[in-house]
Amino acid sequence: MNYQTPELRRALAADYAIGLMPPTARRRFEHLLQDDAALRTELASWQAHLTLLTEPLIEQPVADHVWHAIVARIEPQKLHVPARRSFWTWLRLSAVACSLLIAVTAGLLYNHDSVQYKATLLSGTAQPGLRIEAHADYLKVQPLKLAALDAGRSLELWAIPVEGKPVSLGLVPRDGGGRIVLSQRQQQLIKVPVVLAVSLEPQGGSPTGQPTGPVLYQGPLAAL
Amino acid sequence: MIGTTPHPGLPSTDNCSEVLAFFEGRTAILTANTDYLEKLLAQCSLGNRRAFETLYRSVAPRLYSVALRCMGRSDLAEEVVQESFVRIWHNASRYDAHLSAPLTWMITITRNQAIDQLRKHRELPLSDLQQDAVADDSPGAHEQLHSAREARALNQCLERLEGMQRQSITSAYFHGLSASELAQQLAAPLGSVKSWIRRGMERLRRCLES
Repeated sequence: MNYQTPELRRALAADYAIGLMPPTARRRFEHLLQDDAALRTELASWQAHLTLLTEPLIEQPVADHVWHAIVARIEPQKLHVPARRSFWTWLRLSAVACSLLIAVTAGLLYNHDSVQYKATLLSGTAQPGLRIEAHADYLKVQPLKLAALDAGRSLELWAIPVEGKPVSLGLVPRDGGGRIVLSQRQQQLIKVPVVLAVSLEPQGGSPTGQPTGPVLYQGPLAAL
Repeated sequence: MIGTTPHPGLPSTDNCSEVLAFFEGRTAILTANTDYLEKLLAQCSLGNRRAFETLYRSVAPRLYSVALRCMGRSDLAEEVVQESFVRIWHNASRYDAHLSAPLTWMITITRNQAIDQLRKHRELPLSDLQQDAVADDSPGAHEQLHSAREARALNQCLERLEGMQRQSITSAYFHGLSASELAQQLAAPLGSVKSWIRRGMERLRRCLES
């Protein structure tokens, strides 16, 4: 189908916004949206107009249990620990703890290159996409579940400070895993609270220095 | 338009905690303030749970009213609100202020959640719930809904739409009925339903933009 005429683009965005498209056409349109900022604007405009249909609705109080259910969903799962342990279990655990302590201390003494911050970046459906560990002068990238990448595309990693524009940290290695070496400026940047985000860009990274494609994964970088 | 009215009493500070303190308990004002909701979303994207709770207190009644209109049942609407806020929390950093107002973004998430649920339910035969919901979009129900509030631009624009255009658009928007389902419900040809919706939306947009 030809998506170039303005009338057709507008009509398709309208069909998508109201929900007239069958599932296959919907997926195709969503694919087009990823690379087409003007189409995203067109869609947003329709959505804004349709949202006005909700304006006459009168606000309704929400039962308390809804908030509790949301909190339970977004909080990390708590581990269920048995209430009582026998003496032998404690002894075994203490032995394990001691050996771990020795191993960690030895590891720290041996290797100053420890992880300082960590982030797990989630997709739009809250699926973990990749894990990032920040070391002193590089990031270690570990893919968890990355979407397949077309040839001619790159994934670019960004740091987004609280106040300010995204700053590129570099490209995610092609196969998903590996290291991204950080400059002095980038090292400073991730010492304050930032959100890490991965956007889909043309091969070689964003030509503008700012994200041009959709954000596929994101998550806050947290101190250990 | 929703969410664009600036409020004169707003503190002009960038300090989020001051803003949070200022707004505690003033939910009615909140939903009208775009800047404020944008700040809360920005804080949510950094993992600020307090900002998320404030955001919830501010917009949940509004989003719940949308979910209730779509689902027609409080238990189902509550599930939709729950799912929507989980998404808002996880996707806050994707919110693009240049693209849409924060409330529009959140209402769109809620509405999409609701019609996804309705479509899943609808793979089963049409239940009484949906039958009632469709009947509910008759002009009569609409007049009642609108009489509860002062006339706005939307009212005038919607009123200019023909009955079938209006009914098709509201059914598609709130209940996610496909064109063929609407054709069945309204006992009208598929082509007519599609053109009612498309022409109706164009008229609505032109009217609102004029």
